[in-house]
Amino acid sequence: MSILGVRLDEPGRSVLLTGNEAVARGALEAGIGYASSYPGSPSAEVLGVLAELAGERGFYAEWSVNEKVALEGAAAASFAGLRAICVMKADGLNVALDTLTALSESGTKAGLVVVVSDDPGGHSSVKEEDSRYLGKVAHLVILEPADPQEARDMTVAAFGLSEQLRAPVMLRCVTRVCHAGGNVVLGALPPGPAGRPHFGRQERYITFVAFHGLQEQRLAQARAIGENWPFNAYLGPPEPEILVITAGPGFLYAREAVEVLGLGDRVGILKLGMSWPLPEKFLLRHLKSASKVLFVEEVEPFHEENVGYLVACHLEEVHPLAIYGKKSRHVAGPQGPGLGEIDVDAVIRALAALAGVPHETRSSDYGREARQLVKKMPDRELGFCAGCPHRASFWALKTAIALDGREAVVLGDIGCYTLGLTRSGYFLMQTVHAMGSGVGIADGLGKLGRFGFDQPVIALVGDSTFYHAAVPALINARYNRSRFLLVVLDNETTAMTGHQPHPGMGVTALGEKVPALSVEEVAGALGVPVTVHDPYDVRGTVEVVYRLLRQDGVRVLVLRRTCALVSARERKPRVYVDPERCVGDACGCHRFCSRVFGCPASIWDAARGRAKVDEAVCNGCGVCATLCPQGAIVVEEVG
Amino acid sequence: MSGGPDDLARKVLQPGQCAGCGLCLDLCPYLQVVEEKVVMIHPCGLKEGDCYRVCPRTPTDWEDMDRSVFGAARADHVLGHHREILFARATAPEIAAAGQYGGVVSALIAFALGRGEVRGAVLTAGAPGEMPRPALAENPEEALACAGSKYSAAPSLRALHEAARRGLEPVAVVGRPCQVLAVRKLQRARGLEAHHLAGRKVAWVTGLFCFWALDPAFYAFLRAKTGDARILRVDFSPDSLLVHTDRGLLSEPVDKVRGFVRPACRECFDPTSEFADVAVGSTEYDEAWNTLVVRSERGEALLRAAREAGVIEVKPYPPERLPLLRTAVLNKKLRTLEAQAARGESSHLQLSEGYRRALTGRDQP
Ligand SMILES: Cc1cc2nc3c(=O)[nH]c(=O)nc-3n(C[C@H](O)[C@H](O)[C@H](O)COP(=O)(O)OP(=O)(O)OC[C@H]3O[C@@H](n4cnc5c(N)ncnc54)[C@H](O)[C@@H]3O)c2cc1C
Ligand code: SF4
Repeated sequence: MSILGVRLDEPGRSVLLTGNEAVARGALEAGIGYASSYPGSPSAEVLGVLAELAGERGFYAEWSVNEKVALEGAAAASFAGLRAICVMKADGLNVALDTLTALSESGTKAGLVVVVSDDPGGHSSVKEEDSRYLGKVAHLVILEPADPQEARDMTVAAFGLSEQLRAPVMLRCVTRVCHAGGNVVLGALPPGPAGRPHFGRQERYITFVAFHGLQEQRLAQARAIGENWPFNAYLGPPEPEILVITAGPGFLYAREAVEVLGLGDRVGILKLGMSWPLPEKFLLRHLKSASKVLFVEEVEPFHEENVGYLVACHLEEVHPLAIYGKKSRHVAGPQGPGLGEIDVDAVIRALAALAGVPHETRSSDYGREARQLVKKMPDRELGFCAGCPHRASFWALKTAIALDGREAVVLGDIGCYTLGLTRSGYFLMQTVHAMGSGVGIADGLGKLGRFGFDQPVIALVGDSTFYHAAVPALINARYNRSRFLLVVLDNETTAMTGHQPHPGMGVTALGEKVPALSVEEVAGALGVPVTVHDPYDVRGTVEVVYRLLRQDGVRVLVLRRTCALVSARERKPRVYVDPERCVGDACGCHRFCSRVFGCPASIWDAARGRAKVDEAVCNGCGVCATLCPQGAIVVEEVG
Repeated sequence: MSGGPDDLARKVLQPGQCAGCGLCLDLCPYLQVVEEKVVMIHPCGLKEGDCYRVCPRTPTDWEDMDRSVFGAARADHVLGHHREILFARATAPEIAAAGQYGGVVSALIAFALGRGEVRGAVLTAGAPGEMPRPALAENPEEALACAGSKYSAAPSLRALHEAARRGLEPVAVVGRPCQVLAVRKLQRARGLEAHHLAGRKVAWVTGLFCFWALDPAFYAFLRAKTGDARILRVDFSPDSLLVHTDRGLLSEPVDKVRGFVRPACRECFDPTSEFADVAVGSTEYDEAWNTLVVRSERGEALLRAAREAGVIEVKPYPPERLPLLRTAVLNKKLRTLEAQAARGESSHLQLSEGYRRALTGRDQP
């Protein structure tokens, strides 16, 4: 259904939406005036959809340079009386946290909903943060939808709640909500953002420690609301023996587990739609009747700890009660308790153990069968796409570093190029932390010369990441006379999250053409020398990197070449191996193209003993042709 | 004697024994060069490699080489195979003027290219006093543009692979003695399906006399000495470095540059390109002429044709100078044997006892 469903003006109609689309729909129904985000999985599509609809629905949407800036923009809209939504992944919350903790103290005006997507298991993240802890630190109300319908419903509700409390409300979604598809019953769409924004001369939004008490008052108010809030619900017999406390998709797993085990008369499920603050009375009421409580949640034992504390405070009322979950190791995914995602099986195992009913979630032969299957499964490593300019850049870097001969240190961070730490990037990258952190670490290393540190330092950063978080580190480095080479791997888009625009591109989220702000303009303005080169010219790149490695001070090299997935839409030459020229294993290259350079389109034709280009996978960059020692690869322009 | 890239790294590259000939460079994507330093950027993982087979600094049976190039054992253990030793020079004044000495090398190459005997020549280009680079000349003018000696280890043989890739054949090669040996090893290597083609395309090899090449740091030294002056020509007399500039001649004792001598050259056994078809050097006293050693039948035929065409003129080698040349070469060989013994590494030289005795026991074969 996708965007068609999100924009459909048919209240009551049920359409298939993903969780991300449902959040976007909720925001439309709430009549937002401002939407901002920095792209991050698993929630990148929320703003993607909103940006497409902003024009027709008359609100503003923006891909901001980072999450902090995105949040500040959304806060401004709220202060001026426009409802605003700000979307980020868990890692982005860390970036925005300073502002967010302040906003909850200063308070807001029109509804401000902060959508934070957690990625249990780190499908597309380097960490699996449970952002509820940070929401709690920020004294925020945290809502947790379990499915797309709730994602829509809670988004709408969150705006009302935010206005009632005059504080931001956090909507925590996990991957299995963001990316799951489900039927969503639509509500009505308002005509557009109401009223003209205004920031009254007498209005104040001040962060001041004296307002801490106010934050606590707001939480108390929210707790009271939560006691009778429809999203905090109980399902099961009036006096269950086992109480499952859960939120998010854990609720769906728990419901299924109870059904599978036929424990409907012994087990009750308490679903928390508001994970913070806790509806204490509601919880205690149900805890009293149970003798065992099981916590089902992703990733960390957030409820377990907070409800556990509540239980401790009310021991006499709830005694006897045993607590199960992550700490007891009953709820554990394949990687262990508190690690990665959980699933129905994990909940079935836990419940079966607690209820003392025998249940095998898998056939006893499962292990053997799985191993047999796995043997047949090809080993697929993470790697750059065919034609990815990063592969060429990394090969050039590897070469230049070897030619330089000193022990260069290569620092990286977050983006497609993080794969530089794998075989695909020839294992070059030595540090990975947060957006732009490679630059900050390079800055630090580059100042250790006074202690005799003489290794060349290279920081790698993507173009989008450059704008996001590299600039302050670059200023620091230039001012404090650090020495390193900053290589900006500029593929002219935010490739990893789906090609969202950034300030270097000359187009906004709304599709407006604006003057681009290039990396060289920014770095140049800082007084840092900048060189720009095309990484597809591997030989030339090697020379440039080699030369720059031998220079002093902070210097920037922009390796610019459009992401192959973008450029292949416009131009894709046919690349193939001339079987007459390729000499197969008689060549000294030992299958360079398929085995070492490692483009997924370069394959080995075992029957013919020759290299081959898988033309279905190839994106036509032609870099392999420039590196083949036999000149056996042909690049042919087509059409 | 076989080996792979690991052996090449261990025996040649790491101990500084690479002569910088450039032949291994385009055999694979893993051997690369910067500032005349060859670096292995990635271990390809093969146990046996073409790089190891063709490298002039991997173990080489010297006498076997004689047999495979000239079809016979050598009679002269110091100077190698030679049919004639002459003084020679180019007759064309522009070639004689451009050449380092008599311009014999350039004249022969230009002649062969002009007559279509070869379609390309593997040469070494570069302005005087600047780092040279491999060059593939396709006509006499391009060949002439490469005249003049560049005193560092340019990886000229890269151009041989380029010629093969471009299907340019046959080609002539001009090189330092190490480069001549490399080409010969390539030509006779078996199992080099991919690359012996490049070797087969070589019509003949002109070798230079060469007692050492310098590290490219020499060019920075030159710059520092000459300042803003434009360097017109760099030359060595037996005891001096001579730099001709637009502001006059600068001279430095040769000892000032000895520190720049490439370590590998200290263990070179062949200062006169013993496996070339013809070898060309200075006369050590008359700049207008070259010493020309005609070694093979092919070399002899080439010279004959060039003389008939009036491109080269020759005169007899002064008999009283021959002992000087012989002593210089012998001493170089003996120094190398000593240096290798001192380093204690297994030598790349595989010499029979008979050869060793012939060298060390008598100085006249
Ligand atoms: C590094 C080096 C050291 C030398 N040492 C001696 C020595 O000690 N005693 C001696 O008698 N002669 C020596 N020579 C040879 C001498 O300098 C002349 O090159 C030779 O006499 C030919 O003279 P020509 O006038 O015929 O040369 P030209 O007609 O000027 O032709 C010279 C040719 O040499 C090639 N060439 C130039 N530089 C290099 C290089 N670095 N590597 C490979 N090829 C190159 C060019 O391609 C050109 O074709 C040396 C040459 C070099 C390059
Ligand atoms: S041209 Fe070569 S490097 Fe580029 S995508 Fe195709 S196979 Fe890969």
